[in-house]
Amino acid sequence: MTAAILKTLRQRLMGGASRLISPAADKGRGRIRQLILLIGVAYLGIAAKLVHLGLSHEAPQTLKSAADLAAAGARPDLLDRNGAILATDVKTMSVFAEPKNIIDKDEAVELVTAVLPDVDAHELRERLNSRKGFIWIKRQITAKEQSEIYHLGLPGIGFWPENKRIYPNGPLGAHVIGFVDKDNIGIAGMEKYLDTQGLTDPHVPGFQVDPEALIPVKLSLDLKATQALRDELTQGLEKYRAKAAAGAILDVNTGEVIALESLPDYDPNDPPDMTKPTNIGKINRINVGTYEMGSTFKALTIAMALDSGKVSLGSHIDARESLRSGRFTIHDFHATHRVLTVPEVFTHSSNVGTARMALMVGVSGHQAFLRKMGQLDRLTTELPESARPQVPHHWGELNTMTIAFGQGLNVAPLQAVMGVAALVNGGHLMKPTFLVRDEAVAMANSEKVISDQTSESMRYLLRSNATHGSAGFANIDGYYVGAKTGTAQKIVGRRYSNDKVFTTFMAITPADKPKYLYLVVYDQPESAPGDGGYHTAAYNAGRVAGSLVRRVEPLEGHAPFPAPAHPFPLIARLGYGGDADRVGKE
Amino acid sequence: MWRLVHLIAIAALIGSAGYVYRIKYQTILEAEQIVKLKHQINKAKDEIGVLHAEYEHLARPDRVQELADKLLQMQPLALNQIARVADIPEKNAAADSIGHKLEELGLGMSATPANGAAGATPPARSP
Repeated sequence: MTAAILKTLRQRLMGGASRLISPAADKGRGRIRQLILLIGVAYLGIAAKLVHLGLSHEAPQTLKSAADLAAAGARPDLLDRNGAILATDVKTMSVFAEPKNIIDKDEAVELVTAVLPDVDAHELRERLNSRKGFIWIKRQITAKEQSEIYHLGLPGIGFWPENKRIYPNGPLGAHVIGFVDKDNIGIAGMEKYLDTQGLTDPHVPGFQVDPEALIPVKLSLDLKATQALRDELTQGLEKYRAKAAAGAILDVNTGEVIALESLPDYDPNDPPDMTKPTNIGKINRINVGTYEMGSTFKALTIAMALDSGKVSLGSHIDARESLRSGRFTIHDFHATHRVLTVPEVFTHSSNVGTARMALMVGVSGHQAFLRKMGQLDRLTTELPESARPQVPHHWGELNTMTIAFGQGLNVAPLQAVMGVAALVNGGHLMKPTFLVRDEAVAMANSEKVISDQTSESMRYLLRSNATHGSAGFANIDGYYVGAKTGTAQKIVGRRYSNDKVFTTFMAITPADKPKYLYLVVYDQPESAPGDGGYHTAAYNAGRVAGSLVRRVEPLEGHAPFPAPAHPFPLIARLGYGGDADRVGKE
Repeated sequence: MWRLVHLIAIAALIGSAGYVYRIKYQTILEAEQIVKLKHQINKAKDEIGVLHAEYEHLARPDRVQELADKLLQMQPLALNQIARVADIPEKNAAADSIGHKLEELGLGMSATPANGAAGATPPARSP
């Protein structure tokens, strides 16, 4: 086609020329023809090249674009709520090769592997013989290795700056922060969340993000509180020879997670391969583990009964005898064999009492309440890791009775924390968050689940349990702590074990106007010397929670204060609990 | 005459060409300087980043705790050692027994010359 166009062009030019040029200029005609021919050839050449470029599949790749694509992208810094760095990028050098520019590949392999002994020579030789234009030899080398390779003077081997993710605090908060792979792509935790939110360099061609433009992301974690939590949990883990421990501190008014730790943990600078069975113990137990929360679940049951109006704080619940249902009998761990008031059911942690209260509400009411409290559905937060609670398929009266005191329903501890936080913060159920959030936003996104009065009753019950019940170890003077213990027997084989337990402890400070909710759990703790063989929650999780309150509250800037004069005004007007510290005698 | 004009024109041409040439090379030089400085800035920023990370690593709370336990002869903070500013009692009125006695004798304080005037110590700042 090109030729045809050229031909007509030539003819037209020729025709024009013959009309214009006088016979005297005839001599020049040969020269013009030559010139036209030359230009024609040049155009043909260009056309041929264009066709070739259009047909070739591989776009010509410059070294820069190849390296940019292969290099680890930039990520924003992760900060704690006070601005301390939790994760940051530092520049490191990586060594690459352009196989087609290497003259003697065998020599190159020999010299490079001499400097970098951990590079597999056989594999490197294979990759150098591939048809790729760009390969990495080793990522993130040291300055010394770089200078040694540089002085080898090999053509076709060069260096490219890359971002390497650094976690200066090591394992602190590792389960929240998560980690990245060699290409700086988030694999777990908030690092993965950043990628899904498009807050990192997307790293696709034509989409370059200036690292300067990445805004640091502030997490809700407090680094110092996290360290205190990890330190206390670790000490307890050794003292009570438990298999695992976990804990969290939640701001009940904003839903922010101030600290979260799960032991055993890992260093995100050297992340474990979570697919290996040996690493299964390193999961985030607060988000991913599901457990029977034991007696801490009784708080939900009593709140349900109070909120339904079928029970008031002054009601009497018959706990004289064990409760029978079919083949099963429900016993009390600390049996009192008498009629109990509602506060006594809570402080004596009566299984029979709570089961009776749940039965008053009924199976469907119980289910509806737990669903409303977010205990029956998967809780999703910013963290990609989550677990679905294990809800019984056939939920009959017996299930309601056992779930009332925390058996037969496995939930993620964070889920239970969310529920209890809603019980004490005035009845506002809000999803826990790992990003900073202020109270107005949190309240706007919350759901009112129980009345103000029920919420205050729950605070009163928790406070009385700290002064007269099982949670005395955490009753730290000056912080008006309210708390509940929970000891769940672990299932060994198909039976509940008598000596293997899972203990939970929840504490709120201050009980009249809660700010923080502390959660401590221990998996299979043993009795410490001097505890008379007790391994229930109060002796391990409760003690740890107590020292945690003592340590974290001053860190957060809360000085101890005298007990408030009128802590529970709503229920005091109804004649109950004017003084929580006297509840046991009421 | 024309020759002179031509000469001047040619000289002006050469001169301006030389001037442009110089400016052009200066610009290139400056541009190179800018690139060099940008590189230096980036390098310095990277180094600052590394130092930040290193600082955080050295000042991480668990390390500080370990060092404090080992090197400082201090007790852990007890809660009764913490008080609010509001809990601190008000300062008592200064007991001036001599002045009191003088007043009783009918010799008032008003005559004291140093009252608020040139004292050795400057008057206390008003809050």
